[in-house]
Amino acid sequence: MSKRLEFILILTLAVFEAQSTMAAQNLPPANQWIPQNAVITLELTKPKVLLEMLSGEKATAAITALPLYKNQASKPKFKEFINLINFMEITLDTDWRTGLAKLTGGGITFAVCPEDTVLLIIDAEDDDMLNKFHELLLNMARSEAEKQEQPNRVESTQYEDVTAWTFDGKEAHAIIGRRLVFANRPEGLKAVLELRADAAGDNLTSKAAYRAAKKAAGPDPVATVFADLSLLKKIPDIAELLKKSSNNPLAALTLAGIVEAVRDSTWLALGLDCRESKLIIRALVDGKTTASTSSAAFALPNKQGEGILPNLSVPRRIAALSLYRDLHSFYAAKDDLFPERTSGLIFFENMMGIFFSGRDLTNEVLIETKPEIRLVVAEQQFDPTIGIPQVKFPAFALILRLRHPEQFNEVVEEAWQKAVGLINFTRGQQAMPGLIIDRPFRGKTKYTVAYFSTSRIEDKTNLDSRFNVRPALAMPGEYLILSSTDGLAQDLIDTLHQETEQTPKPLAGIHSLVELEGGRLASILETNRKTLVQGNMVDKGSTQEQAEANIDMLISLANFVDRVKLRIGTNDGLTQADLEIKLNFQ
Amino acid sequence: MVAKIDRPVAHAQSKQIHPAVSEKLKDPAWAWSAYKPDTQRPWTLAQAGHLYRRAAFGATWDQLQQALSDGPKLTIYKLLLPQDFIKAFNRTYDEYETSAAGSTDSLKAWWLRRMILTPHPLLEKMTLFWHSHFAINNAKVKNARLMQKNVHLLRSQALNSFQALLKGISRDPAMLIWLGAEANRKARPNENFARTLMETFTLGPGNFTEKDVQEAARAFTGWFVLMSRLRYIPREHDDNIKQILGQKGNFTGDDVIRIVLEQQATAKMLLRKLYRWLISETEELNAELIAPLAKSFAKDYNIFKLVEKMLRSNLFFSPVAYRRRIKCPVEFALGIIKGLEGVVSTTQLAKSLADIGQNLYHPPTVKGWIGGRHWINSATMVGRHNLALALLQGSGPYGNKLNPRAVARKHGFSTTESTARFLLDLFLQGDLESGVRDTLPKIAKASAGAGGGDLVEPVRRFTHAIVTLPEFQLA
Repeated sequence: MSKRLEFILILTLAVFEAQSTMAAQNLPPANQWIPQNAVITLELTKPKVLLEMLSGEKATAAITALPLYKNQASKPKFKEFINLINFMEITLDTDWRTGLAKLTGGGITFAVCPEDTVLLIIDAEDDDMLNKFHELLLNMARSEAEKQEQPNRVESTQYEDVTAWTFDGKEAHAIIGRRLVFANRPEGLKAVLELRADAAGDNLTSKAAYRAAKKAAGPDPVATVFADLSLLKKIPDIAELLKKSSNNPLAALTLAGIVEAVRDSTWLALGLDCRESKLIIRALVDGKTTASTSSAAFALPNKQGEGILPNLSVPRRIAALSLYRDLHSFYAAKDDLFPERTSGLIFFENMMGIFFSGRDLTNEVLIETKPEIRLVVAEQQFDPTIGIPQVKFPAFALILRLRHPEQFNEVVEEAWQKAVGLINFTRGQQAMPGLIIDRPFRGKTKYTVAYFSTSRIEDKTNLDSRFNVRPALAMPGEYLILSSTDGLAQDLIDTLHQETEQTPKPLAGIHSLVELEGGRLASILETNRKTLVQGNMVDKGSTQEQAEANIDMLISLANFVDRVKLRIGTNDGLTQADLEIKLNFQ
Repeated sequence: MVAKIDRPVAHAQSKQIHPAVSEKLKDPAWAWSAYKPDTQRPWTLAQAGHLYRRAAFGATWDQLQQALSDGPKLTIYKLLLPQDFIKAFNRTYDEYETSAAGSTDSLKAWWLRRMILTPHPLLEKMTLFWHSHFAINNAKVKNARLMQKNVHLLRSQALNSFQALLKGISRDPAMLIWLGAEANRKARPNENFARTLMETFTLGPGNFTEKDVQEAARAFTGWFVLMSRLRYIPREHDDNIKQILGQKGNFTGDDVIRIVLEQQATAKMLLRKLYRWLISETEELNAELIAPLAKSFAKDYNIFKLVEKMLRSNLFFSPVAYRRRIKCPVEFALGIIKGLEGVVSTTQLAKSLADIGQNLYHPPTVKGWIGGRHWINSATMVGRHNLALALLQGSGPYGNKLNPRAVARKHGFSTTESTARFLLDLFLQGDLESGVRDTLPKIAKASAGAGGGDLVEPVRRFTHAIVTLPEFQLA
């Protein structure tokens, strides 16, 4: 069988969707046929909800309007695929949406088990259609083998009262009532059939961790995922990843609270809900995390009502991150967190010593910052009279809150100007132009900006990448803004003034919040399309056409996402993450 | 296209020097005259492969078959003279490189891609030669845009005028920064460029004195690189009389270039170096063979004419030249890629090549890559083995861009044995002992199994075995 047909067959089997209410008659729930040692299990209990969202009129119109879709639709392979779908629709006497719903109406259960075994159980609403469909696939596999002058590999064997089939001699599947059971290897199917035969035997549902995870995932989700972390953490790559995250100071700071929670947990539960064009995913782990005992205490809001501040809104915002991280506590614990004095750490401390005139970094510098830290990334607007870089990077800014701004502002200003001076000195040594420092006002806020002059450059339309950067320092009120551009610094000054007037309320219990704007991300990808295409050509060895397709796919995907919001915090000592994806079908 | 396989003859004849041929090779007139195939020295797949290894970076099956059909004269003509669209191709790639000139990592990737896809591979082969001759390492220059301009200069003159090339190099900011000659003041002439010019770029050691270097340095005074731009400051130029290589006058840098080019030693030195690049690393070129070519080359320093003479010569198509060079890492990797008609990630390839000793834009010293046996040691052989594996395994950093089984099928070889023979001819043109040659396809068949199933993986393994053979390491 050709790879292509094999792929289509397996894909067709794998993408079925279903509805839970009509579980096949006389059959127990599919999770009772999943072995107890399953590492990851996905149960799609209301697939019609997803089907309606992703193949509804709005979504279909949005997908078919994409240039990428139109481009693909003109290709012979795509036409072949459409012909195949049409053929199936005629043979089964239905349209593909109805067919999918009927074929998978009772739900989909997917499990990854030890020894690279993968199981897929699909419950159909219409057993007659399921049998017809199966017969169709068998015939297609036989005729494809004949076309390829390969021996027919479609075979069947009897296992007690069940007929087990294979398309290619590797996978195995069977139809039991309205249920299709598929395994990537015969041993997987055998395990399922043995569980079916022994209803009282141990299966996934007899596992306490699974039951706890299902409960945590919520009362009536569209889909749930259970992951056995006690098994997953034994996989060397995952163990290494958890270890690395702890050893890297930046990763430890950013992922604080998350890595520790995963490390102390035995299961992970995910629950998926769909509302209008929103996908809402809740993730929970069972490891208890408390501020008083955790090594990530610096990232855990300690008092009632404490938490991150809401993200800052600025024009052309691509992404924003709000963190609760007590930098003073974090750095004070560095000897315990990172006992190894790496060259990078030593260099960092030396430089900080220079910039802050010998002040103690922990007790005289970081202690001046409050735990609310925010980051903003925004698309830049370039002034043609100053110049436009060839590659347009987004601007980004770090916003800190100071404890004693009136005393500390000058210290920061001095450090910042020293850093710019050092950059200029180093560039000067290499005969490269340096930054010019200016101190303009935004409203009543005086800020400092450093920039590369373009006055002697004739062609201002195709500047070097360095002209993406106009580093700025601003300190409106109790806030400190370190921005890669003065434009973003100005927007942030305005936003922070508004925020100060309204006194923002912290999001209690939340220690991390990430927001991403899909449309804006697509916009900056589109702006740099030419550069990205060229990069793809040499990075992937693609032709220009292939590279364009890859990048356009990326842009299309970004456009499909209106907004992504991820909140992570603790709830009754359990770490919980809520991911909200709003899709854009406009 | 019907596959034509010309078997063992090639190997036997290319290795053994016919006594009559051996005698004739001592005669410069015969050695440098154009090769005309005859019964003793037929035009074979092996000769076509040899030409494509030296004048390009290897060949596709179609190119080899076309060369067999065209004969040596037309094949060399096509390799020497670009087709019409080469200008458009190079213009497009110049634009790509300009966009990517923020870092030499990107420049390396684009250059390697250009080498793979160019319709004029000889131009890139010669650019690579000059990149080693006029070696500049960006670790010191630290300016990708200047490095891009340097390689652009090398390419523009790679098959043109050595005189123009040398003059361009003498005013190349990257070269002056690399040699620490970015400030050449009257009060303190910088001797670095003058010394390298005479010792490495032109005359060679023993053909000039320390006094010549000092005087030449004075002639180059006044030239500065300021803010990455070349500038001439007249008041910093030494206007006094200088004596260089026996000539006296108020010389400038251009005069020094004229004077060194007037020396026969320059033509001879370049000839020896090009001989090593295009013909043989093992056989020294004797004075009798050098003399006529050096004399004509010194008249106008036309690189194109010299390269054409060498490629067309009886010497080039003799056993003196056949498999008498060790492939540099670029030739090794591109030989695989070209043969398998794919394009891989050149960003990754640049890193892999650096690991086995050829870091483009970063030649190790002012003398460039020494080459020859220096390419081969226990570490680089393991590196070549690993690189070939990575290129052929169908996953990992190079993805599934090279598929020897698909290429064999495309050319009409579908059985295990015919695929094995095809790959041996594609990559080695029969250059194996007959026992090995006959045994390998049988091993391939046995390792593929009797099931008649998917041969993709066994063919990958077999191809890897071929390209890691000692014979494949030789150009």
